[in-house]
Order: sequence, then structure tokens, then C-alpha cells
Amino acid sequence: MSFKINKYDKSRKAFERAEKVIPSGVYGHLGPAEGCFIPVEAFPIFAEKAEGTYFWDVDGNRFIDYMCAYGPNILGYGDKDVNAAAFEQSKIADCTTSPSFKMVELAELLVDTVKSADWAFFAKNGGDTTTLAIMTARAATRRKKIVFVSGFYHGVAPWTQKLGYPGVMEEEVANNLYIPWNDFEAFEKIVDENEGEIAAFIATPYMHGNFQDNELPADGYWQKVRKLCTQKGIVLIVDDVRCGWRLDLAGSDHYYGFEADLICFCKALANGWNLSALCGKDWLKSAVSGVTYTGSYWLSAVPFAAAIACINKMKKLNLPEVLRKKGLMLTDGLRIAAANNGFNLVVSGEPALFYLRTADKDNNLMLHQEWVAECVKRGVFFTNHHNHFMNAAMTDEDIKFTIEVAEEAYRVLRKNHPEL
Amino acid sequence: MVDQRTLAYINLYAVLGTLENLCELDPAADALLTNKKPISIGFEIKGGPSATLTFKNGRCRMEQGVEDCDVKLPFSSCEKFNGLLDGTVTPVPSKGFAHIKFLLKEFTPLTDLLAKYMRPNPEDLKDEEFFRISTTLMFYTIAVAIAQIANNDKVGKFTANLIVDGDIEMSIVNGPAATLRAKNGRIVALKRAPENPRAIMRFESIQLARDLFDGKINAVATIGTGKITMKGMISMLDNLNRLLDRVAFYLA
Repeated sequence: MSFKINKYDKSRKAFERAEKVIPSGVYGHLGPAEGCFIPVEAFPIFAEKAEGTYFWDVDGNRFIDYMCAYGPNILGYGDKDVNAAAFEQSKIADCTTSPSFKMVELAELLVDTVKSADWAFFAKNGGDTTTLAIMTARAATRRKKIVFVSGFYHGVAPWTQKLGYPGVMEEEVANNLYIPWNDFEAFEKIVDENEGEIAAFIATPYMHGNFQDNELPADGYWQKVRKLCTQKGIVLIVDDVRCGWRLDLAGSDHYYGFEADLICFCKALANGWNLSALCGKDWLKSAVSGVTYTGSYWLSAVPFAAAIACINKMKKLNLPEVLRKKGLMLTDGLRIAAANNGFNLVVSGEPALFYLRTADKDNNLMLHQEWVAECVKRGVFFTNHHNHFMNAAMTDEDIKFTIEVAEEAYRVLRKNHPEL
Repeated sequence: MVDQRTLAYINLYAVLGTLENLCELDPAADALLTNKKPISIGFEIKGGPSATLTFKNGRCRMEQGVEDCDVKLPFSSCEKFNGLLDGTVTPVPSKGFAHIKFLLKEFTPLTDLLAKYMRPNPEDLKDEEFFRISTTLMFYTIAVAIAQIANNDKVGKFTANLIVDGDIEMSIVNGPAATLRAKNGRIVALKRAPENPRAIMRFESIQLARDLFDGKINAVATIGTGKITMKGMISMLDNLNRLLDRVAFYLA
């Protein structure tokens, strides 16, 4: 089978207009630079519409979307149940002077659903919640230092960035300490060296950093971290912005057998309606109450209604199990497609958020970038160096189509690289 | 605040080191040295770097250390050496007084010529050949300066530590190329393309490179236009761009 090769004339023209009035044309992770569009000619820039597991670009090309808007799309774009709840709420009220009671209903649902949640605080983006988590930890402990795992991503606020990043002052990252993932001894050592000074340890449930094979927690790692944090009065923050709702509806900490003090949600919480939530243990409720933290749209009712519908539907579908099965079906097929053409596709991370790398002897990722480009040109939207996301709307037929495209893309690589 | 020690490394290896390329690119530089006896000038900077420039057969070459130089210029501090580059300090040789004529008659005109290319007036840049030489020299200066910042500047060292080992190609299509070799958090710059790059940052044209170096455009913003090609281990390039940003801090 031979697949149509996409053209992006309208996307390119739209980008030319965009870059005249918008910095970088499309900035951030959806843009060609941070999104690692390699080469840029292989990727669409602007979407026209989206439905289920697909989006169509402005040139009319359809894509099976394995990025799911980088996570928010968990039930399928335009899910009818979630949208019905949102549209219904929009007829009643959204952004108002007194907030809708929907926020209480959602907080109650989160407390009932998420194992480590005794309360919920709402905002808009994942970074809003990670920043609030750090401020809460500092307020509660009256300490300043934060321990991070090397290769982390917790948003774009200055404290989440690094020395040398444009616009970031040395003082803003002066209290950041770094340890390798899965290295409990390193955590013990840094805690010992900074006795009484560490406010929090913040990490994702497993290492799903970019540009590297993703790594699950070692046996007993989280339990040892939990125990030491409790002993030393360190607030344990789980950044569940990416994994949240895809591994375990009770929280990814629950999935790995421990309890966080603070857990951050966003992305899939409302299937694309703009909402994030910080949930936490009762002993931190007073501290978070004292933090000055708010935003113009944070208590809008429509996303609350969407989130309630989304969580209830995810429960009904037992969604994490569904996504795991779909992820395994897909990645097993992709591995075989690679092997059939003499390549080794390394799959890592959890199946619902799989990470891909075509192994090459030079370890420079160029072969993988060529393969991803060939897939995208044929209507399968993978990205090069970020984990992918499964969603409920993806069918077995979509997965079969994807594997066929992947196989053809590997055949192209084989033809282009007779030396391998 | 500019770190004087880092600036001394940049001034010696990246700025004066570009005399190597000037002698290859500009016949006027070549003419200043042709039919002259080989001579070497050592720069010895207390608390900083030391290197020797050797002029031979119309060509120039820089090597680390001052052991075998004919003329030695000692500087009591990095600040004093940096003063040489901005014209506020006049060096006094500690060795090779007999060659003082070379310093005055050949070396000074050479550095003046280099300054003409490195800090060009806009009129000169309208000349295509001048533009090409000027931008090429700037390219090599920046490539070497990146390494000095990575190895000496506090912020640069933090950034360099985030770069995985391997060769980065920085190049201009139909123009110069450099290798930035990262190993164990340090970077070495070589004025040639790597044979087996782990990451590539390639500028579409010399004009684009110039605009980037002059700060008229931003590398991240230009990627979307396809005028800068990036491939391979993108995290290396991400951090390289942060070092590139830092070059302007020292050489602005």
C-alpha cells in the first residue's frame, strides 16, 4: 500500500502571515522550534478542525493525532458528553463575579476520586499548579530549597527554568537542587547536605523527560522517597500534569503505590477545556489558603462542568485500562514494523504515554527524525522527542492504519540508507 | 557583569585567534606577511590564558603556551590584557625587543585590519566580498567564543554541563563550518566541520548568519521559516543557543 504524501502550501502561507505579527510565528511547544519539526517542511503548522482522534490541517490533510494537543485530548476531540455539559453550562453562566457552585461539585468529585486529595484549588495551566505547589510547600515549611530531578519539566515560570535561560535571573533558580532520576541515594545525600532547608521534592510519576528514553520508577523508589520526605518534613509534590488520568483515575501516585502531599493536574482533566487543579493533603490546606494566588478566569464555570463530565466518563470507561491496551497494541505493532525493515524501535514509558526512538549506531536521533517526518507526511502525527498520548476515540482501525504508515516510512528509510 | 577572565579567553582565542582566518581570507593581510621572516608572538596573561601566534609564509597560526615565542607580551592581569584589545593598554615585551619593528609595522596593521572587519562600518558591508570576509571572521570568532564561555563563564559552565558528549556542527551553507566538541561538560571549538556530528545547526545563507550574529533575528524564531536547519540531538542545540546568546553579552 502506498499512502498520499501531504502538502502544506496553505500552512506555509499562514505561517508567513503569522510570523509578521506573532513572535516565532507559532511559539511554544505547538510551534516548529520547540515542537522539533524536523524538517519543518514535513509538518503542518495550523489546524482547521478536529474530531475524535483526528485533526485536519488548513490544507485539508487528516492526521491521526498521537500528541492529543500534548495531552488534553483524552476522550476524543469534541467529545459529545463533555461538550454537552460545557455548552449547557455556558447557557447559564461562565465567568461571573460570584463563582458557580460547579466548582464545589468538581472539588468534591476530585476529593472522592483522587486518593491523596483532601481539597482542590483551581487554575488554568499546569504551570499555575506547580508554582502554587512550590509556594505552598515554602509557606508550610518556611524553607526555600527545592529538589528537582535532572531532565525535569514543570512549566515555564522562572523557578522552573535554568541558569542561562533568557530572562531568568540567577537568584530565581538559586535554591534549585538537582538529582538524577531513580537515585534514592542521591536524594538521601542532598537531604543530608541541606538539613532543614529543603521545602519540597517535585517530580513527575516517572521520568518522561524529552530527548531521552522514558524511565519507570525502580521498585521501592517512591516508597523510600515518601518515607524520607515524611521523616524530614519535606513536602512531596507529584507533577501529574502529563500522566494524570491516563495511568490511574485515583492519581499516578496511587498507581505507583504511594501518596503525594500535593498533586498537580491539568491537560486531560477537562478533555481540552481550560482548567488545572492542585490537590493536596489536609495538613497543607491552611498553608495553601494563605498563599496569594488567583487569576481572571480561574473560577469560570464552563470548564468545571466539562471536567465533571470528563471525570465521570473516564470512570465509566475505566479509561486507564483502555488506554494501556490501545497503547500496547500500537507500540507492539510499531516495533514489528521497524524490525520487518531491519530497524530497532525502542519504546519506553507507560503504554498510554509511550515514547519512541529509532535506535542508530551514532546515537544522534537523525534516523528517528527521518522516520517521524515520513510518518507525518503520510498522516500520522508523531513527534520526535516528546512522549505521545493515547485517547479513547482511537479505534483498532486507526492503530492498524498507523502501523501500515510506520512500515512504509521504515521502507523509505531503508531505501534512503542502503549503508545501514 | 562581564567576567574579565572569560573575556580574556575570548579576546585571546576567539578574537586574536581569528587572525588565522584573516590571513587566509584577505590578500591585504597576506601581503603584510609575505616575504617576511617567520616570527611568533606570545601572550602571557597572569591568572588567564596564554598562547602564541606564529606568522610564517603569509599565514598565521595560534597555539597554546608561550614557551617557544620570539616576542613575549606579558600582562599582569586579565583586565590589562583586555585593555590591549580595547586600546587602553600598550604592551611592553619582556622578550624579543629586536622584533619590536614587527609589532609596529606588521602586527598592528593586521589587528587594525581585523578590527575593520569585526566592527565594520555599514558602508563597507555593502561590498559583497567585504561582507563575506567580515561575516566569515565573525563566524569563527563566535564559534571559538562559545567554547570559551562554556569553559570559563559561570553561567556558560552550567549550560555546558547540560550538553551531552558529541560533536555539534555549526555551519553556513556554501560558507564556513565549525565543530563544537562537547565532552564532560567542556567544549572545544575546531574551525572545520565534524565528520560525524551528533547535532547540526546550519544557516541557509551568509546573510542570514549575519542577521543572527547582529541580533536582528532570533535563531528560535527562524527555525519555523526553514532558514535554519536543526537536526540530531536537539537538546545540544538548545543549550548551544543559550551559549550563543551569551556571546553577545561579551562581544557586544
